[in-house]
Amino acid sequence: MRNIAKTGLALCGGLALTAASALAQDSGPLIDLLVKKGVVSDQEAEELRAELTQEYAKTSAGKLSLGSSVQSFKLSGDVRIRHQMETKQTTGKTATDERTRERFRFRLNGDAVLAKGWTTGFAFETANAADSGNQTFTNSNDDYNIYLARAYVGYAYNDNLNFTLGKFKNPLYTTDLAWDGDINPQGLTETYTFRFDGKDKLEVRALQNIMQDNDEKNWGDAGNDAWLFAQQLVYTKFFGANSLILAPGLTTYSNANLGTAMTNETPFAGTSSKLTMLTFAGEYNFANIAGSGNGIKVYFDSSYNFDASSRVSQVYNVNTATHGKEAFAWLLGVGYNHGSGKAQGDYSVKVDYRRSALGALDPNTSDSDFGFGNLNQEGFKIGASYNIVDFASLNLSYFYTTAIKDNLFQKDGKTTPTVAKLDHSQILQADLVVKF
Amino acid sequence: MKKLLSILAALLCVSAAYGQKLVIKGSDTLGAKLVPQAAEAFKTTHPDVAFEIAAEGSTTGIAAITDSTAQIGMSSRRAKPVEISAALAKGVTMKPTIVAYDGMAVIVNEANPVTELTLRQVEQIFTGDVTDWTAVGGNPGKFSIYTRNTSSGTYSDWKELAMKKRDYASSSQKMAGNEQIAAEVAKNPNGIGYVGLAYTHAPGIRVVGIVGKDKIAVLPSNQTVQAKTYPYARPTFFYTNGEPSGLTAEFVDFMLGAEGQALVQKVGFVPAVQH
Repeated sequence: MRNIAKTGLALCGGLALTAASALAQDSGPLIDLLVKKGVVSDQEAEELRAELTQEYAKTSAGKLSLGSSVQSFKLSGDVRIRHQMETKQTTGKTATDERTRERFRFRLNGDAVLAKGWTTGFAFETANAADSGNQTFTNSNDDYNIYLARAYVGYAYNDNLNFTLGKFKNPLYTTDLAWDGDINPQGLTETYTFRFDGKDKLEVRALQNIMQDNDEKNWGDAGNDAWLFAQQLVYTKFFGANSLILAPGLTTYSNANLGTAMTNETPFAGTSSKLTMLTFAGEYNFANIAGSGNGIKVYFDSSYNFDASSRVSQVYNVNTATHGKEAFAWLLGVGYNHGSGKAQGDYSVKVDYRRSALGALDPNTSDSDFGFGNLNQEGFKIGASYNIVDFASLNLSYFYTTAIKDNLFQKDGKTTPTVAKLDHSQILQADLVVKF
Repeated sequence: MKKLLSILAALLCVSAAYGQKLVIKGSDTLGAKLVPQAAEAFKTTHPDVAFEIAAEGSTTGIAAITDSTAQIGMSSRRAKPVEISAALAKGVTMKPTIVAYDGMAVIVNEANPVTELTLRQVEQIFTGDVTDWTAVGGNPGKFSIYTRNTSSGTYSDWKELAMKKRDYASSSQKMAGNEQIAAEVAKNPNGIGYVGLAYTHAPGIRVVGIVGKDKIAVLPSNQTVQAKTYPYARPTFFYTNGEPSGLTAEFVDFMLGAEGQALVQKVGFVPAVQH
């Protein structure tokens, strides 16, 4: 039978058995053609098929097998090595804290497309904080834990309506003003898409996010589960190669106590009440500026909390008569990209200015790097990225923040709110990122 | 001691000659009629051979070769790569031998006015894209779709040949074998199913012509299957662990010989070898 295999392989354009992995998967139509042309008989073709499959099964790839329900399975991830320099000064203090850290992050994603519209997947990463996958190199070559960052089940009822359950990528259109990019919400999300001419579409996105599970035997807010409910319309309109995205939304919370076990950068363990936020984010992309593949993006995000006065006064215990209700947070940015960041030589730069007002945002979800996750901060974020090869890039990020309201103390005049304890801060991050 | 070993060896040889048994498992398509009849014919020249035949679906036949619980695995489909890999892991090399060809006929109730269907219509019916006979020119009435069960090679072959590997309609009903499908379609005016060529003469059913790209309706027959003009034709296999030897080889050779292939034709399949 070796002769049959070799004959077939020779006829298949000189491919050798060393390419069995590719050949075994692609040879079906070719063998059928050989049979049709009378080059090999049906019996010889069957033996050839079986032999190629057996050769393939002996390869590394052939020894992996997936369940029959899996239509496709993608493994991906990245490794990031970071050098971070940071300074910060706490409100009411004169000393500045300075620190330099070497950090790393590893992420591994597995995403499977199953039959009948089902999907599932997982992601592992190197830290258990919701808003960071980083580990700081410490303690004499210690090893580090791996945590489950995502585990989800998706179901597409049709091309327009789909659901995802579990812990998943953030389904909302957002910037890191309100949502740190590392957060994978947990709960349920739904998207319904209306499609118009061309690629234009309007998506209705909803997220029911479990923020805290409390024991119902307790009285009052301590016995309620903390839920975040976000609803958003995302409208995408194309003008030739240019595009516009507008995304208004409403975010509310159930009244509940948030526990003390959170590991995010600025955990707020008070109540989730008094947050009813109207959000509005968007961007305009100018494509092909000064040549194909070059683009400019202008982007914005904002959040207005209708209950800000109560939030600031009752939850953070800050006198609104003195400091204001601080209901509005916003971000405005512009970026330039050469290429899509997937090819050697691609690069991008961007800068944004933002104002993270005390009463306007949830500190448990806002960016952990901007003012170390503190509210009552305003300032810049500058980012740049350069692809040294297709799959690896050098990234630089710089954050500079100062307090919006100086000397923001609680009603006792001495204590700063736990989520707004910074006078100013700077962070510089230099990253090497390799994706696979 | 040497004398004792010689006696034991002689006893083993004698017992082997007198107690040979051929275990054949797998496809209902092959195992319902063809292989039992072939076994009977084979026994006329090999009276001491006992057969154990279990026709419970191609998957069971391939698994039996992998697990070394049968010498021959009958299959109406090719072994899947994952099955071949599993066999290799146990040191078993799957060797296919084509013993016959089969045309998978689309059958309807004899009272049904539909006489032909396009490839696309067949796909639409069995996947559930259409649900009523009016969609394909028939009388009003929901399709009653009868398929083989999931361990059947015919079940997966049909998905590959007729349904572009899509899933069956959720309303489809799974039957144990060809005869059961033919019987259900004969009873149900809205019934539709598929059976092997050997089962197309069952009472109460009619075979539907299949209209391909050349717009000509083709019925399954020896001629159209051999000429490869009928779209739902397939080889059927004996799987063995490597090249068959001994009694297994004798039976495979018998199947491929003139007598075996005549039986193939008699039972309603299309011969794999012309004599």
